[in-house]
Amino acid sequence: KERTDIKLKMPPAVYERVVVKNSPVYQYMKVSLVLEKAQTKLTAVEFKHLITTGLKSLYGEVGAAFPFDLLTFEEDTLTAVLRIYSRGLVRLWSSLTLLGFFQQQRCAFRVLQVSRTSSYTL
Amino acid sequence: MFLDDLMRELHVQLQHAGHTCLKILFKMFKQLEKTPRTVLACERSHLDHEKARLGTHVEQHFFNHKVSLLVPGCDRLPAELDSALNSMRSFLLVKNLPLSQLLDKEFLEKAVYKGSTYGLSYQTRIDEDNCFALLPNGKLVLSVDKDTYETLGLEGKPSQYQRRPAGRYVVSVDLKDRTMSPGGKGHQRVLKALTEHNPLSCDLLLSQHLPGDESPALQSLLSNHKLSEHRPRVSTHVMTSLPCPTLVTSDLQGEQQSCDPQSFLEWLGAVDAGVTFEEESGGYLSTYECPQPQTVLDSAVRCSVTGLLLPEDIYHLLDVLRRSVLEPKLAPWLALTVHGFQDSPVSWGTAEHGFLSGGENFYTLVLFQNLDYWICMATGSHDACPP
Repeated sequence: KERTDIKLKMPPAVYERVVVKNSPVYQYMKVSLVLEKAQTKLTAVEFKHLITTGLKSLYGEVGAAFPFDLLTFEEDTLTAVLRIYSRGLVRLWSSLTLLGFFQQQRCAFRVLQVSRTSSYTL
Repeated sequence: MFLDDLMRELHVQLQHAGHTCLKILFKMFKQLEKTPRTVLACERSHLDHEKARLGTHVEQHFFNHKVSLLVPGCDRLPAELDSALNSMRSFLLVKNLPLSQLLDKEFLEKAVYKGSTYGLSYQTRIDEDNCFALLPNGKLVLSVDKDTYETLGLEGKPSQYQRRPAGRYVVSVDLKDRTMSPGGKGHQRVLKALTEHNPLSCDLLLSQHLPGDESPALQSLLSNHKLSEHRPRVSTHVMTSLPCPTLVTSDLQGEQQSCDPQSFLEWLGAVDAGVTFEEESGGYLSTYECPQPQTVLDSAVRCSVTGLLLPEDIYHLLDVLRRSVLEPKLAPWLALTVHGFQDSPVSWGTAEHGFLSGGENFYTLVLFQNLDYWICMATGSHDACPP
């Protein structure tokens, strides 16, 4: 009789563990743009266009032909969260590094954090 | 005739060269598509299951920087949960603390042997600077560059992630070991290394958990150093009409009707980053959508706490969550994400941690109303597989 009692008390759930390697299809980047003239304002559309231009100038039409998303954009700090296919991460990152001009003024991208989710600690 | 042959030969050669060129280009693009290794370990069980290792995972993740909680189905946090989040203990920031201070007899007796003390060097980068950590089990971990290692004269191991050529070494000293008691052989050797050979110092974040109601003695122990006390920062947001993926407890791999853990983590991240799910510019800016199948929540609260957060406090939070999830008014689950410090020398337990591209080490707990849970532990490329 005792045994059945114990069985009834046992929770129905099981223990299951799954380990996945290299699973993320997307990678998320938090980047900020530093401009020579700090008072310059940019809209989200201009910001995304700037990055696309950078990609095309480094990799050409075909090399740059992969989509990326601008998830958030703060106009005050020019900080954005980008979502990119994992296989495009290196290409996007390198083109951000080499992007040096926005409308004839010098600029630089700072990569603040790279992660598998856009939940940032910074 | 001769010219014709020559032309044909040239044509073949050119074709061949073009082919090789294309091959090289193709290979280059393939190389560019490689991304650093990542690991995601997911577990599903019940809080009372004999094999449930939730407590161990929480306890072993020593250095937590940010806790974010998502409570669907309410527009205000339940009072008990709110107080648990606001009562996370404060921590100290000690400026320019010589590491030899950690070997002081009084410090050892009041901080290391008694209760658990957590210490982590502040604003040091794990891939460039010397980083230090004092673990609650009494281990002092020094992750130092090659030059520092050679001047220290302590025994260590080359870092797993900078091996050839070894540019970084990890020295682990067990302060609770018998030889490390004040005056002991090991103690003298380490003290000599940290005072004479290379007097290392750093800004250190410190916090202590003592059993019972005893108040921590750290402040009085380090009173002759410049120190400041900080409270964890709490921020709360209420969201309305939030699209939310459907989770099925038994479907951890997302094979049936549930959202798979990776997509769910991405959605949680998007909620945490404040992503709006309505596209305004006709799909030019973003094509991100909430994973299917989805429902729309009338309201949800997300709350995040940042600071040096102790596993003991998170464990207490888990207890409160366990009680809160049973409230019938709330949605069928709660999600808690705990981020580790990116530049900590260890991630889980004493497993070495590195940075490479992100240095991420975090876990997300999804607690369901029937007390089943999912825990997803993620690490980056310079990290061991989560326990």
